[in-house]
Amino acid sequence: MAWPLAILVVTPILAAVGSLLASERRAVEALQCVQAGAMLASALLVVERVIAGGALSASTLLQTDALSAWLDLIIGVVGSTGTLYAVGYMGEEMTRGHLTMRRYCRFFCLFDLYMAAMLTAVNQDNIAIMWIAIEGSTLSAALLIGFERSKAALEAGWKFVILSSVGIALALFGTILIYYSSEHVLGVSSEALRWSQLYLVAERLHPSAIKIAFIFALIGYGTKAGVAPMHTWLPDAHAEAPTPVSAMLSANMLTLAVYAILRFKIITDRTVGPDFAGTLVVGLGLLSLTIAATFFLVQRDFKRLFAYSSIEHIGIALLGFGLGGAGIFAGAWHLLNHALAKSTAFYGAGLVFLAHEHKFLDRVTGLLVHMPLSGTAILVAGLALAGLPPFGLFASEVLIAVRAYAVRPEIAGVFLLLLALAFATLLYQVFRMLLGTPGEPGRPLSKPCRLFAWAAVGINVAVLGAIGVTVPPGLTSLLDAIVRLFNTTMEMP
Amino acid sequence: MSLLTPHVGSQLVDLGSAVLLLICFAIVAQRRLSACVDLFALQSVFLAATAALVAFLTGIHHIYAAALLTLIIKAIVIPRILRKVIERLNVTRELVMNVNVPAGLLICGGLVMLAFFITQPIIPLGFLLTRDSLAIALAIVLIGFFTMIARKKAVTQVIGFLVMENGVFLGAAAAAYGMPLIVELGVFFDVLVGALIIGIYTHRLQDAFDSVDTGRLTTLKE
Repeated sequence: MAWPLAILVVTPILAAVGSLLASERRAVEALQCVQAGAMLASALLVVERVIAGGALSASTLLQTDALSAWLDLIIGVVGSTGTLYAVGYMGEEMTRGHLTMRRYCRFFCLFDLYMAAMLTAVNQDNIAIMWIAIEGSTLSAALLIGFERSKAALEAGWKFVILSSVGIALALFGTILIYYSSEHVLGVSSEALRWSQLYLVAERLHPSAIKIAFIFALIGYGTKAGVAPMHTWLPDAHAEAPTPVSAMLSANMLTLAVYAILRFKIITDRTVGPDFAGTLVVGLGLLSLTIAATFFLVQRDFKRLFAYSSIEHIGIALLGFGLGGAGIFAGAWHLLNHALAKSTAFYGAGLVFLAHEHKFLDRVTGLLVHMPLSGTAILVAGLALAGLPPFGLFASEVLIAVRAYAVRPEIAGVFLLLLALAFATLLYQVFRMLLGTPGEPGRPLSKPCRLFAWAAVGINVAVLGAIGVTVPPGLTSLLDAIVRLFNTTMEMP
Repeated sequence: MSLLTPHVGSQLVDLGSAVLLLICFAIVAQRRLSACVDLFALQSVFLAATAALVAFLTGIHHIYAAALLTLIIKAIVIPRILRKVIERLNVTRELVMNVNVPAGLLICGGLVMLAFFITQPIIPLGFLLTRDSLAIALAIVLIGFFTMIARKKAVTQVIGFLVMENGVFLGAAAAAYGMPLIVELGVFFDVLVGALIIGIYTHRLQDAFDSVDTGRLTTLKE
């Protein structure tokens, strides 16, 4: 039975409709809490069943394999804490009169639709329907980014909608090229668009067509993943969106776009071998890492700082995936830990923004003393994002460096150098906020807001700490299954 | 049917695709916003006709549905939304562009050659009937992309995006004999909602900045 899968995808849609119809704040809050709980529980159930059975399908439309389950885990855990956090954050905005009840309801409707689109995209066997769902998540995200309707928010939203529309159109062209090549092998039917079928016949697909398709998909979905040099929308969108949305963009949407690239990479690897796609992905990964590491120091806005850190970590994950073998294991592990750490960082940053109503890094000091909750959140997330043990990002970065050393030592050298630079500059900026004499105290936050933020940060930090020390055995087998999808093994060359 | 031998059919599909490409050049050369919208609507009509022709020649019926949707959504609904947006704006012509018209046309000529060059190795893979459409489709995608870069007004950037979509759709209908129907429906839904959202954004930009000149969007810089 695959009912958890159905629940996972359908509840956000129901919650979206419910939020739109609701007329009372309490009702929306209760609905969103239920939605967060249902999402977490059903995602974990799906993951458990995939670990036990290898795959799960609810119909021809909803199918889950190891890689999908991994994304379910990320979106399920981070999405549910994000929903809780959003309840507190948007509630506080409404208490302060920045938001009418109607817009409050509309926010949660969009937020849930965004989750539903992402969950549909990952639990999908059809490459074109995945495109449709990813486009759906782009469109809802576009409205969420410009939600506050300030000039800056509109500018950020406009940049996002234009750049990702271009990206997504290129990705659709890549999808059509896959179909163009596969319909000669699988016939003119939906079968020619299904991953599971494509993987089986990959060796018989036309190599040039698959290569061109991969380049289109990489540029297209790469734009949405914020990969340099297509990253220019990302810092603006993350800085200007309401903070719960920034957290979800970073933790879920970028991960989702990387997932789409991986799906194309699996086909490409099976058709033309891992070197073609690997080289391109490694190149873009290193470029993203370079750009992010050099931009940390000039940031004056703390949300932009964390946005650049997302570019860095997506780059690191891509580097891992590009290197293949154990790098794929590390890349997937990196995505999960990054999602947890980055959303925690944004949860902390959002509280600071609510208290001070500005985002200037220079004017925020001594957070650990006068805002213990957000101070702790930013401290833990900052240490994790800088790649310090005992957090999972340390393990994955070491693994990627080892893998890089085995494949091409010069890549390992460049990688470690950039990591050191990013480590120093990110921590310098973060500690400037955390330490020092506490500045202006800012506006106090209402109790419900603090409570929801506590819950969100607490769950994230607990999971981050728990999986930082050891990889749970169930997840190891899931990661092994992901590595096998790429037709390679964990062994070092 | 006797008149439409595969050879003639293939020529007709090529002709349709070539007209689409020609309209792209006209859009690049056109400064008046409303004329750009009209040209886009015209391009969509030809796209629908080409798709219907492919459906007729191959006997694959669901391409008819896609052609009909193109006609309704891209030739009627979206141009109507765009005209409404333009009516509200205080500009009708685009005077300053990032790339001027003659240079733009030259670049587009280069892009067409690039598209043929890229698709060279995979053209023989295609169906005999619609072989060359894939290269033309890619050329249209690239020109649409270029239009988005070359123009400053939000409305023309939207048209650039829609032209890209038309190119992708030509690729799907002609080169790949159409995607499965459920996919077509989903894609059309997304394009329609996308156009609506971009329309909403244009309104709000006009209200907030008193202009749809995206060159004025300069608050967010490093």
